[in-house]
Amino acid sequence: MSDKLVFAVPSKGRLMDQASEAFARAGLKLQKTGNDRGYRGELAGMDAVEVAFVSSSEIAWYLKTGRAHVGITGEDLIREQMSDAGERVEFIAKLGFGHADVVVAVPDCWLDVRTMADLDEIAGPFRRNHGRWYRVATKYMNLTRRFFADKGVTDYRIVESLGATEGTPAAGTADLIVDITSTGATLKANGLRILDDGVILKSEANLVASNVAEWSGATRAAKNAIAKALAGN
Amino acid sequence: MTLSPHAGRGDSFETHMAAETARKFEALETQAGRIMSVFTAAGYEAVSPAVIQPAGVFLDVVGETLRARTYVFTDPDGDELCLRPDLTVPTCRLHLERAANGNAPGRYCYNGTAFRFQPVGATSAHPREFRQAGIENFGSKEREAAEAETVATIVAAVTAAGLRSFKLRIGDLGLFRALLDAADMPARWRPRLSHHFWRPEAFRDELKRLTTTPGHAVKGLPVALASGLTVTSPEKSEQALLAYLTAEGIEPVGVRSLSEVTESLLAKVADASSAPLPAKTAAIIERYLAITAPARDAPRLLKDLARQDGVDVSAALEVYNRRLQLMSNAGIDITNIEFSAEFGRTLEYYTGFVFELVTPELGPLSPVAGGGRYDSLMRAVGAKDDVPAVGAAIHTERLLAAIPAELGSAQTIGGAS
Repeated sequence: MSDKLVFAVPSKGRLMDQASEAFARAGLKLQKTGNDRGYRGELAGMDAVEVAFVSSSEIAWYLKTGRAHVGITGEDLIREQMSDAGERVEFIAKLGFGHADVVVAVPDCWLDVRTMADLDEIAGPFRRNHGRWYRVATKYMNLTRRFFADKGVTDYRIVESLGATEGTPAAGTADLIVDITSTGATLKANGLRILDDGVILKSEANLVASNVAEWSGATRAAKNAIAKALAGN
Repeated sequence: MTLSPHAGRGDSFETHMAAETARKFEALETQAGRIMSVFTAAGYEAVSPAVIQPAGVFLDVVGETLRARTYVFTDPDGDELCLRPDLTVPTCRLHLERAANGNAPGRYCYNGTAFRFQPVGATSAHPREFRQAGIENFGSKEREAAEAETVATIVAAVTAAGLRSFKLRIGDLGLFRALLDAADMPARWRPRLSHHFWRPEAFRDELKRLTTTPGHAVKGLPVALASGLTVTSPEKSEQALLAYLTAEGIEPVGVRSLSEVTESLLAKVADASSAPLPAKTAAIIERYLAITAPARDAPRLLKDLARQDGVDVSAALEVYNRRLQLMSNAGIDITNIEFSAEFGRTLEYYTGFVFELVTPELGPLSPVAGGGRYDSLMRAVGAKDDVPAVGAAIHTERLLAAIPAELGSAQTIGGAS
């Protein structure tokens, strides 16, 4: 096994663009190796680093399993995919982009529901009137479960939603949602409102190190060099 | 059904093995034979419900907390299924298939595998697959008799399997409900406190809120809306709500109707004009929940407590005493029973009497058997109305571990009964 530090970097989308800008600001030169569509790369002048271009949702898995030493991804994705994030990874630096809040949002016309406690209170009446628990559409099943359990809300059903979550209450496939929002405009356009105590997580892109990857003196030094460059701007 | 809480992984009696030895398999089979012959001799029909169950039924009944511990999967047709996390719900479904409304009498027993994801990793006290042997009794109107008989049958079964030393723990949600019903408070607060019973922290918060600021929720309401809400006139209030939504340009979204939202808003408004719950009443409720005592002493303690607030819970106490007497008549040593008012707080579908059987070997966090009354479960799986139901299950691997080897597998079937 080579003694290189594997650095997982978003391979597409907005997060990739913003990561590239952050590298540029930090004076790090990210280059793809092989053909232009390759999934491997390097940082100019840092021989000990091997870059892996991975979709941002998979980066959490790379870090969780130790396939990558460090990575750039949203805190929301890390916390969603690891119930023991504090043990498996270390958040080295917040990178100042990719801001998104994971929130609980209900139809704005539910004027009686402003807090999680209000939400819990309507569980019984909702079930009596509709013959089922209310449904929460989300792709964040674990974050939702943990947050609802913390708030003492247990009588609900999760519906897994992999896209257009904010439209599910209007479509009738769910009653409320847990989703990410950056400006709240999309929620508003769909007639939804964030609960007063409904912010589960204020997420942004982080430089994250895996605690379960195999570390050596060389990889540790490379990690520190990257951290210093990225955190310093 | 037994759903032991997450806690209890500190106790260890041998580490978990991926495969059981042939010897352990044989010992479990022998033990199951003894248990099942006690059940069938007591008039329970042996059934074998399906291992793979529709996930929706379970998730509606047990909620998202157990979903996190249930193996849920999607089959090639896109249907959401699960490996049964217990055998009670599958047995309810089986009974419902046979008897249209589920309210015909039915007595069933089973011995089969149940599956639970163990978040911190499986151990032998908390394995991800384990065999439950249990009984369910549906539609019996002789409530306390059915409860006493369930406990007696489980005790007979574990005794037949070779268990010598154990303690019974009982609880009774009926007593708690009676205390709430008798205490002076607006009727709408009772279901709220009942609802929070299973979550000690939320319960304490709610109790505190009711004794201090029951009306705080109204403060968050916009004045333009709050001024139009009148407790005595739901119709006018609904019109005021509609007018407010229209004026603010808020679109109706979702299935909740205006009248549902109005009803819930009016409850908040009513709270604002209600006198707070007397601190004395709240203290009595909290002191009741702290009661742990020998089963025979509990009624006296509760009676003393209720008298201080001038409330009358004698009807519920009569039920409690009758059940205890019936258990004694059935040959159970009731001096060996402990009552705990809080017991049952982690098991939401139980609606009345609950019990569990604890051994010195495995400790209170890994009961070898448990059960109780769950009258609303049959309706949750599809019956029109509530059906009287009481049942219990033995965690057979734990039972085997609690029995000294010379008494367990070495004995011949039937030898101990």
